[in-house]
Amino acid sequence: MFIVPLDSLVPDYVKTFEAYIPSKPDPELMKLYGCDRLYRLNNNENPLGPPPGAQEIMRRFPPPRAGLYPSGDSYYMRCRLAELYGMDPDQFLFGNGANEVIAFVIKAFCQEGDNIITADKTFAVYEWVATFSGFTAKLIPLKDFGFDDQAMLDAIDERTKILFVCNPNNPTGTYWNEAKLRSFLDTVAGRQIVVIDEAYCEFVEKDDYPDGMKLISEYPNLVVFRTFSKMYGLAGLRIGYLMGSMGVVDVIRRTCVVYSVNTVAQDTALAAIDDIDHIYRTREIVNTEKRYLREELDGLGLETQIGEGCFIMVRLPMSDTLAYRKFMSEGVMIRSMTGFRFPNWIRVSIGRHGAMEAFVEALKKVLSV
Amino acid sequence: MYKMKQSLFSTSSLCYMIFSDSEVPMKGYSTEASLTISSDMQFLPLAMSFTEASAKAFGLEKTDALKLTLACEETFTYICKTSKETRSLVMKATNGLYYVGVQFLFNASDFDPRAFNLTAQVSPDDEQGLDEMGLIIASRSVERLQIFHGSEGVSLVLVKEKSYPPMSKITIPESKTLRDFTVVAPDPGTLKLFAGQIVHYYPDHLYPRDFRFPGKLMDMVASGEYGAAVAVGKEELTGGGVVWFQSSGKMVEVFGPYLFNQPPQSSMAARLINAVIEGLAKTGILFLIVMYATPELPSGYFEPLGAIDIFKKDSPPAAITVYCRQLKEDPGSTVWVHPELEEFLKKEYRRLYFARRMKPTESAGEARPEHSVFAARFVKAQNTVILNTIWDGVDFSDNLDRHIRTLGNEGIPNIFFEIDLAYAWQANLIPLLLRREFIPRLVLPYAGEGDIVLFQHGKGL
Repeated sequence: MFIVPLDSLVPDYVKTFEAYIPSKPDPELMKLYGCDRLYRLNNNENPLGPPPGAQEIMRRFPPPRAGLYPSGDSYYMRCRLAELYGMDPDQFLFGNGANEVIAFVIKAFCQEGDNIITADKTFAVYEWVATFSGFTAKLIPLKDFGFDDQAMLDAIDERTKILFVCNPNNPTGTYWNEAKLRSFLDTVAGRQIVVIDEAYCEFVEKDDYPDGMKLISEYPNLVVFRTFSKMYGLAGLRIGYLMGSMGVVDVIRRTCVVYSVNTVAQDTALAAIDDIDHIYRTREIVNTEKRYLREELDGLGLETQIGEGCFIMVRLPMSDTLAYRKFMSEGVMIRSMTGFRFPNWIRVSIGRHGAMEAFVEALKKVLSV
Repeated sequence: MYKMKQSLFSTSSLCYMIFSDSEVPMKGYSTEASLTISSDMQFLPLAMSFTEASAKAFGLEKTDALKLTLACEETFTYICKTSKETRSLVMKATNGLYYVGVQFLFNASDFDPRAFNLTAQVSPDDEQGLDEMGLIIASRSVERLQIFHGSEGVSLVLVKEKSYPPMSKITIPESKTLRDFTVVAPDPGTLKLFAGQIVHYYPDHLYPRDFRFPGKLMDMVASGEYGAAVAVGKEELTGGGVVWFQSSGKMVEVFGPYLFNQPPQSSMAARLINAVIEGLAKTGILFLIVMYATPELPSGYFEPLGAIDIFKKDSPPAAITVYCRQLKEDPGSTVWVHPELEEFLKKEYRRLYFARRMKPTESAGEARPEHSVFAARFVKAQNTVILNTIWDGVDFSDNLDRHIRTLGNEGIPNIFFEIDLAYAWQANLIPLLLRREFIPRLVLPYAGEGDIVLFQHGKGL
């Protein structure tokens, strides 16, 4: 048998990178923790699930179609989005979840010695993809829980290729308003690619929240990410996309893996995108349950960070990883935030009222033990 | 190159591990020299010359270089005499900046495995001359010794730490309460002063002995094996700090936090600990361990894992509470459990909220190899040895007795034994440890392939 010379085969930046281990499936976790229920409040999923029309598409999916390749570039989805937003279908690229399009962009623009800039406490995948691809991720500390625009600008050097801004930010829920975003883009002045990740944009109801899509015509270096995993409840099908100016997207297309979005995902996303009522109903649940949680958490005297999006953050007077284990033993799965560089904070996804009550009940036990 | 790392019991402390690492801790100094020779006594002078020259080149003083050379002489002789035939052997000398290590690496497929017990004699069948066991002799001249069995073969590693002058009688500036401060990595001058402040403000049981030597702490941090952060105010005054050490690929030991004249309500301790956690949050480190907890250890950050006793020659045993903090969400795991340890483990896992699927195991008369082999991590300065089993064998109890007796003769009162619950055959050894007055003290989650139960030999001195 051969011994694989991993030491010489593996690049240093891969050797030193730590793989992310996702949680086990629910039945396994329930067996391990000895609980007969499990409320998953760790992944910011939509408590309503997919819109009814999308569910119907799934139910009616003809099994023989699974034997055929999907549209390699999500043709009908791109056409529909172009129609909706008044853009060209070729301004859109689809991926197996928005995670995949992050890799497309980094691969398209970065080469050895380049760097990207993002925040230290935000969605981790920008940093991960850059790091395990051999590029430097410059991480700028958040300021008052929000992206620090000036510090990001100050960090730009001649090897900076991409600036990633999560708007609203996961996990803090803060956002840049349109004036701030425009000012940032004006200062960058097209020299670098600016990615605005709008994974949670459909949850934001504030008037000054910018629609990145509408700014692309003015800022051709702007790339906007969106996903069907959050508001549209299709996280299990993995479908997300990016859009940008024709020239920029043409470059990104060269590093895009085609055929990575399956047929069911494309068909259901096509049905979901037009269900405006689903957005209203989701927002109503999220707003109602956020209010409920805020009252309960205030009553417990706990510090919170409640911004936009379908999640909140709570600071606990204990280790968040210990809290995770205690919550699990109560059948409630939250996200411990040490991994986001927020020690002793947890992030809680907004669920239906029963799940929120279960969380509060578990929290009281966790704090009292 | 390889880098030596200590673990769990800290700096001056017990154990170290060896692993491949291309990281160069500090630019501007040589890090490694190697020599490939045969395990033939004719090469003894060459092995000794190599050791002495490397040791001096890497900064050991003459006396220390000679001690390391003496230890290598004993080790090389031991290897030659226990080899059934001449074999190729690699010696690697490593500059750890605050220590010099020499590793003997060779394939031992046809070696009598008993030869690699710490207590082995030159001739394993020879019951005479128990006082003249080569590895024990070697261990007397160095700070640390490890017998390590890995995929590359067998390693015998000797570490001689450099000698540093004690702290001079410089005046430690009186620390002031800092309302506004930032947490930063200290420059060398600040780090040196920080060492002085720790010694000035804290009793000696709250910091490792190494901190009494500011130059050593500076080299430890410069080596990249240690890290430090300090809280500084506007006038560059240091109000406190924290030191940490990556003791293995999964664990970091934290020392402190140390605060100097800061009010009880200060956020400094929490911010220092936050800085450590945030810096390690996205690495492969699973746990932080604290064995030198100061009263300023902020509440709500660490969990008490348990306690061990450290026996010293001229003072009563000191109970040390070990604190830990997990850095990742616990995915749960499966462990092998012998019935005689089931209650202890159930109680500990329940107390710590660790989800573990417990699979029962015990010996059922199945065939076992004839001879057991222990790995040993031995640190003279701490009078401590940590043992674990590399290979099972029917002579396990006898081997254990031999180790206890030999280590007792060496004046080493702190004997620990690790059982890795990822392996059923190791869990099966638990009753034998219990019969030899080993007491389960701590469960260290994921410290080995699985959870490790740390047993302590109960007698001490």
